[in-house]
Amino acid sequence: MVRYIAYRSLMALFLVWVVVTIVFLLLHLIPGDPAELLLSQGSIAADPAAVAALRTKMGLNEPLWQQYLSHLAGVLTGDLGASFRDGAPVVGQIAQRLPRTLEVILTAAIIATTLGVPLGTFAAIRAGGKWDSAISLLSSAALSTPVFVVGSVVILIFAQQLRILPAGGFVAISVDPVQHLKLLMLPAGTVALGLWAVITRMSRATVLEVLQRDHVRTARAKGLSHRQILRRHVVRNALIPVLTVLGLEMGTLIGGTVLVEFVFNWPGLSGYLVSAVDARDYPEVVGIVMTISILFVFLNLLVDVVNAALDPRIALARS
Amino acid sequence: MNRALRQLIVPGTAVAIIVMLVLLAPVLPLADVRGMDIPHRFAPPSAQHWLGQDEFGRDVLARLIWGGRASLFIAIGSALAAAVIGTTLGLLGGYFRGVVEIVTVRAAEIILCLPPLLLALLVVTILGAGTRPLILALTILYTPNYARVIYAATLQVQGLDFVTAQRAMGTHPIRILWRTILPNVMPPLLVQMSLVIASAMVIESGLSFLGLGVVPPTPSWGLMIRAARSAMELAPLLLVWPSLALAGTILTFNLLCDRLQSVLDPRATTAGGALWLRNPRRRAAPTPRTTTPPDQTQAPLLEIRDLAIAVNAGRQPMDLVHNVSISVQPGETVALVGESGSGKTLTSLALTGLLPDSLSVTGGTATYMPRDGVPIDLCQLDEQGFRTLRGSEISMVFQDAAAALNPVLRIGYQVAEAIRAHRNPSDFELDTAVIELLRHVGIPDPKARARAYPHELSGGQRQRAMIAVAIANSPRLLIADEPTTALDPTIQAQILQLFRTLKDDTPEMGLIFVTHDLALVSEIADRVTVMYAGEVVEDGPVAQVFAQPRHPYTAALIASVPEGGAERLVAIPGTVPAPNAMPPGCRFAPRCAHARPECDAAPPPVIAPAPERRTRCIRWKEVT
Repeated sequence: MVRYIAYRSLMALFLVWVVVTIVFLLLHLIPGDPAELLLSQGSIAADPAAVAALRTKMGLNEPLWQQYLSHLAGVLTGDLGASFRDGAPVVGQIAQRLPRTLEVILTAAIIATTLGVPLGTFAAIRAGGKWDSAISLLSSAALSTPVFVVGSVVILIFAQQLRILPAGGFVAISVDPVQHLKLLMLPAGTVALGLWAVITRMSRATVLEVLQRDHVRTARAKGLSHRQILRRHVVRNALIPVLTVLGLEMGTLIGGTVLVEFVFNWPGLSGYLVSAVDARDYPEVVGIVMTISILFVFLNLLVDVVNAALDPRIALARS
Repeated sequence: MNRALRQLIVPGTAVAIIVMLVLLAPVLPLADVRGMDIPHRFAPPSAQHWLGQDEFGRDVLARLIWGGRASLFIAIGSALAAAVIGTTLGLLGGYFRGVVEIVTVRAAEIILCLPPLLLALLVVTILGAGTRPLILALTILYTPNYARVIYAATLQVQGLDFVTAQRAMGTHPIRILWRTILPNVMPPLLVQMSLVIASAMVIESGLSFLGLGVVPPTPSWGLMIRAARSAMELAPLLLVWPSLALAGTILTFNLLCDRLQSVLDPRATTAGGALWLRNPRRRAAPTPRTTTPPDQTQAPLLEIRDLAIAVNAGRQPMDLVHNVSISVQPGETVALVGESGSGKTLTSLALTGLLPDSLSVTGGTATYMPRDGVPIDLCQLDEQGFRTLRGSEISMVFQDAAAALNPVLRIGYQVAEAIRAHRNPSDFELDTAVIELLRHVGIPDPKARARAYPHELSGGQRQRAMIAVAIANSPRLLIADEPTTALDPTIQAQILQLFRTLKDDTPEMGLIFVTHDLALVSEIADRVTVMYAGEVVEDGPVAQVFAQPRHPYTAALIASVPEGGAERLVAIPGTVPAPNAMPPGCRFAPRCAHARPECDAAPPPVIAPAPERRTRCIRWKEVT
């Protein structure tokens, strides 16, 4: 187990290095001068003097390998540079906004799992029946509706028509906990809907598969009650792939809440990214993309370790 | 046309309609998408403008169709571009492997390290908003998906004989890839394509919604939703139309993908489920206790009479097990012998109500005498009734212990669970009982092994643990279904020895030992019941049956094993008939050396050639 975790951690570190390198290369090897690209607005050419100044500021005149090394050193020491817009360190902004994004994702994950696993299990038990079809249709519809559509429609319903929840915004939990939770409801619920669909479908598929396994028959032969069989021998075994998918989905969401944060005016990390992209603030974009990618890699690592703890065969087979 | 193909019609037609609609947009009599009409902004639906007018008074219907054109153009365009690149990478990587695989498939997979929307945003940052950067971003995004799927499919296909043959003949690799492998990986490619189109539409509309995708005034669903949001109070319908169009189109493509998958891989959709979990009280069971007065002293432990098990197939139920009668006395070991397909395992599963969902008991009785002395008919029990018997009165040892034990739970826990299902001991008592049980079945160092997972034990130890689970509550009837089949011969002998020890330790316990191995029978059983094609063909004390078989099938079985004492091994010609093609008369007649025309005339009756002996052969006297 320890060896397995060590091995997986090394893999994760390697992936982080790959990501950092890709982001670096993406911005340096594309045709055209990044400085010029950043300063030009549409077809209007940038001021050559400004471009030259920016080139020096960004260190673009140094050889590529030197730029790469200083970039790596910056990442290692947690220095992601200063924002073009206000000169403040990018790390500070990220540290402030990341928890808000994680809050939405975690709340959504909890809602989605508590609803999705039981419903998926129920659908699997009733496979081929009316309830199964209804749940399947509902989850297909939820999967097919883009998150900003769901967000806009729930605002229309809950904020505009029913007027029971605020349409968007953010209040720190230290300022007004109740209002904070009220504001959290709609974005978290919106993210949860898509996640719920994924978890429900995955739970249904794995529970169906586990139900056919021999050890479930053994559990029945022991004289266990249905609840005990379902909990210990079916859902427990089915949870392993479901958790894997949940982890992967959450990883995708760290960068994918862009739209939700935009729709609900939630000042999280993704919204920051959009405004950075809009303003073409190079250090901000690089810093955010890197943070998200690194979180993504480590979340996958966490999923692997949790899986190995739940299913002892995994550590054995893959290390 | 089969059912799965028919399911394709609805989403297929819907996709066709959507595609036709956007293709025909230039020739349809639609209003000008840019024709503003400020006085009539936010006008409700009218005869001229079916879906009303937007914030600039433009026709919503026209913008909806043209917007779909933009969305679909980007989604399908990038799906096709990514398909071409990804398929090429996947084919090359899967065919040549090695270095080629690393520079194609593995290199493409690096893209998957980045969250998709993020990558798209990054590309748009660099190249600016617009249709072409969008297509490029989405192409990069989806190339690894194709590469992966095609890579896996190529690996599968290239192992097939016809590809090997072409390679051997020296056909050029490009030709093999293009003419032979590509057509064979088309199905997963199609599934992937519909999935990517749906997914690309999600990202395209999202970016357009953020103002980073399609550039106004080109209509796009994402942009329409963005604009409608600011006018939500005035005209909520403006938000509803593009939302419906977008979600509906994506749903259609997703459905098409689902259905395609079920057509191409029918296994994935066979309805499973678990009937036993659905309705605990399926039948309002009339008290299953039989009326026979309890006769403690002489009553058999189990008396099966005319048991029948059938497939609940749609049309008429088809008998798999038929007229089976077996009795087990307390302390007696009955071996149930037969080839695969003889119905011996089904019979044993029926006794604990563990038949697969597609099968059910359709006739007969199985009177079991529990501890309390009131006989129960097992054929009338429902799931709830069986529960109290399973594990405490009747236990089972299954064939493949590796699969029959839960891989993610410790051995000790699985044994403890069996005890707790019927008793309520303290933690300490439970621990002691578990370790004592593991010791009893011959597991060395039981204290440490109790904390092991099944995969950490050897095959023989797993089977011992399985037996420990079965005997945890000292059952009165133990059913062992081929308990040694999956094991090495030396381990087989040890497990067999364990069963003998168990019998000596618990003289009252009845044992039904299901096996296809005649050699084991003489070592463990008191009586033997031979089954063939779902029927009992012969039954009697082991020594007598072996010395003088009274059914040609038994005789042939004995002659086919070295331990049978035969001078020369004789294989039985032919195979067991299929359940839907049973011979009208004796079921063994087609393979029988003694068969006569009268054997085919009618099913032979059960005859008792001697006390305690039964045979289903009219020519038993001639069998030696």
